[in-house]
Amino acid sequence: MTITDISHRKMFPARGNVYLPHMVVINKIIDEAPDVRTFHFNFKDKALSEKFTFESGQFGEFSVFGHGEAPFCISSSPTRPDHLECTVKRTGRLTNALHRLSVGAEIGFRGPYGNGFPLEELKGKNLVFVAGGIGLAPLRSLIWNVLDNREDYGKLDIVYGARSPADLVYKYDLASWQKDDRFNMAVTVDRGDEKWQGTVGFVPQVLEHVAPSAQDAVAVVCGPPIMIRFTFPVLDKLGFTSEQMITTLEKRMKCGIGKCGRCNIGNIYVCRDGPVFNYQQVMDLVSSEY
Amino acid sequence: MADSKKVRKEDLAGLLTEWSRDYAVLAPSRADGVARMAAWDGEDISFLDWYRNTINPVKSLFLPPVEEMFSISRNERGHRIELPPKDDTGCLVFGVRPCDARSLILLDVVFEDAYEDPYYLDRRRRSIVVGLCCTNPCDSCFCTSVDSGPAATAGMDIMFTDIGDNLLVEGISRKGKELVAGNATLAKATRTDENRARKIRLAAEKKITRKIDTGDSKERLLAVFEDESFWQQVSAKCVSCGVCTLLCPTCYCFDINDAMTGGEGSRCRSLDSCAFSSYTKMPMENPRADKWRRVRNKLCHKYEFYPMLFDNIACTGCGRCIRLCPVNWDITQVLDSLPAKHESKI
Amino acid sequence: MSYSAAKNSQMQKKLRQEAKALLEQGKVDCIIGYEPGSLKHATTPLITKDKAATERLVINPFIVNNLSNFLPYTKGRIGIVAKGCDSRSIVSLIQDNKVKREDLFILGVPCSGLIDVSKVEALVGKYRDEIDDISRQGDIITVKVGAAKKEFSLSQVMFDNCLACELPTPAEYDVLLGEPTSPIGAAAESAGKLDELKAMTAAQRWAFWQNEFRRCTRCYACRNVCPACYCKRCFVDETEPQWLAPMPQEPDNLMFQIIRNLHVSGRCTDCGECERTCPVNIPLRALTRDMYDIVDELFEFKSGMDTKTQPLLTAYEVDEAEDLVK
Repeated sequence: MTITDISHRKMFPARGNVYLPHMVVINKIIDEAPDVRTFHFNFKDKALSEKFTFESGQFGEFSVFGHGEAPFCISSSPTRPDHLECTVKRTGRLTNALHRLSVGAEIGFRGPYGNGFPLEELKGKNLVFVAGGIGLAPLRSLIWNVLDNREDYGKLDIVYGARSPADLVYKYDLASWQKDDRFNMAVTVDRGDEKWQGTVGFVPQVLEHVAPSAQDAVAVVCGPPIMIRFTFPVLDKLGFTSEQMITTLEKRMKCGIGKCGRCNIGNIYVCRDGPVFNYQQVMDLVSSEY
Repeated sequence: MADSKKVRKEDLAGLLTEWSRDYAVLAPSRADGVARMAAWDGEDISFLDWYRNTINPVKSLFLPPVEEMFSISRNERGHRIELPPKDDTGCLVFGVRPCDARSLILLDVVFEDAYEDPYYLDRRRRSIVVGLCCTNPCDSCFCTSVDSGPAATAGMDIMFTDIGDNLLVEGISRKGKELVAGNATLAKATRTDENRARKIRLAAEKKITRKIDTGDSKERLLAVFEDESFWQQVSAKCVSCGVCTLLCPTCYCFDINDAMTGGEGSRCRSLDSCAFSSYTKMPMENPRADKWRRVRNKLCHKYEFYPMLFDNIACTGCGRCIRLCPVNWDITQVLDSLPAKHESKI
Repeated sequence: MSYSAAKNSQMQKKLRQEAKALLEQGKVDCIIGYEPGSLKHATTPLITKDKAATERLVINPFIVNNLSNFLPYTKGRIGIVAKGCDSRSIVSLIQDNKVKREDLFILGVPCSGLIDVSKVEALVGKYRDEIDDISRQGDIITVKVGAAKKEFSLSQVMFDNCLACELPTPAEYDVLLGEPTSPIGAAAESAGKLDELKAMTAAQRWAFWQNEFRRCTRCYACRNVCPACYCKRCFVDETEPQWLAPMPQEPDNLMFQIIRNLHVSGRCTDCGECERTCPVNIPLRALTRDMYDIVDELFEFKSGMDTKTQPLLTAYEVDEAEDLVK
């Protein structure tokens, strides 16, 4: 069965007006990197906070009223439900508006949407996380999820890189992860600066150097398209099969529910059928427009 | 044609007036320069003489070019969002052509799939689609190639057929049958009326000479999918405007935007088009910046991707994209030019 | 020179020969011309590198598209079929550095005006595909529907912009396919809508346009067929800042057209493509032609008439009109 066969497509329960956002309030803003901020937020409606569940890898539609809405993955872990987080790079109208907001501001949220990472399939496996730049955001949700249930998983490797030391996101997490001896971590930058004492090099090269075993392992990859393109061949060389590589595809999703049409890759709608796919599925897509 | 009824043409206005009591009746009008469905004025049935099809397809009544999803108002305590006032009036659309009626069942599955779309579905549920059999199809029509035809009833509640002095009236759906059954203005149609309708329909079908073989178009498209030179050639004269998509009865792509001044405004949904390069533009890249990719996506969505998802071809052969295209880009010629099937990808 | 079908077919024959030779001799990489359309009384652009395809090239009173629109997006050396109005757009594009003169081989068509099929439809009360034949001999247009035959004058059936045409024979060309033609010279008869609008009060005019633009679908056909609209990124697609709501609503629809009209002022050649392609029949030429006349009145400038005159927006004279903003 290939991805283009949609007979096993996930169905969703009918509910009211899916387009109506819930009000959420920003209660913390962290400057991660130039133009990148993380927003911590909670539902205004306390009852909803208790009821709300999601899976790592799922995303939400965020509204800044007057500026529209846009999808961002939830970068916090469902194992830490006291608040939600999303990390946003300033690139356009909506993200500019979001970056202008301060703590206490009210925005809209609807979701969660998308399939999320296949947690059940990952259990018992050795995991290799490969991320570049802000691509760490969806993986971070999964990483905390895994760390909070550490005994369910085997060996863990993280290879994370950014263009420069300043572009590394979640530095506070990186610091705590680096001290954690429950897993192996490599942080790299494309170009260092005078203070940088860590590894310098592109993510795929560092991954090749770390050389995690493909035995009982799954690699979870997210980053800019160029990084993804060069990472898959390295994983292949390390013995990972295309089913052992998972990625989450970034596409210009709009409605989040598979209707507005713009995120299609062939017959697949990234927002409705993804955004998480394994590499075999990506190769099976009708179109290479991903 | 069992249980068919009829109404004399001079009584049609009376019938529509009767229906106006329970429904907001829409009918073809060209009062403002183009043929479109407009609130029926209570007397004019001259469309029976001039009307072939509307410029805007019937989808625009259910998925309007632009609509308010909710209003937004901001105050010290936060934002208040409010749905537009609920409209419970039924809507009866008179004169929908078979191609357009069929488009509704193709759109229904999209808006029912996964998450229900309340805006579209609410309007659909409140609507009665009264079809008008085609007796004078255009040379751009190719409905008979895509599972439709000038007398096809898919998507209709009732179908009318012009048989000269009378209109033959048939209840199609349960809703339509009920509406027809209890109506005193309608007389029982005779065998002669039915025979006449049969003949007229046959003649209309014969008038449709534009034919394409869609039997294996899905496979043939898949086979040629990666052939950039084919698509370059096919798309060369396309000017990337939105005519063929915005006015297509089955295209449903939309955009969502806010319009707000001061603390008041609304979130709106408006039709969008995959022909525009801005459609897939992301901050960092654009997977369909090339025109040939957009033309390929448009064609494949209708004849390959949609059929993979929902079995049917997402085209009703209404011919608008051929008639209204600034450069006479002709989808049937392109489908015809697809190379015969060879080794396909899946 | 008055129009005759025979002269026309001579031109067509010459065109096919020239086009074929250009491709054969490698003088151009592709030919942009017209071939019969898939609809009655219609043609469609033919963009080809194939020598054999030149046999399909046609010249007739239905060659409506302004093919210069394709130039900025076509690579290599191009042999292009150009009527007078098209040649003006080509000149304008050359002046704007959108295309190089040396990359072009202009196959000039001395034009006698084009037939507006929608006018014929209205005159005979039939749709395009129900009309069997539309033919022209001299200044008489004969329309056949079944056994019925009707004759019309040029001013009844020609496109409004053809009636007002000032340059039927291209001024810029590499080969002229026939004898030069002269303007129809019926500008007054084409200005009906414009005169009607000018007679209105400002409030009436505003109401008129608002009503017209209510049905605009924002398909951007007017922009995309306009040779003068070649911006890589149109202001209407900008999101930061967002100048106009990106949805079909008033007054944004009208504002879009007004701004577009200002942007192409001094480059618009009154080719009429925006109005012809509008799927909802908004009389756009009433706006563009008015701007064209204003430009002429204020600056004595008509775009694309020759390659020597400096483009309007690149020239400034100290004593030129200062009452520009009224």
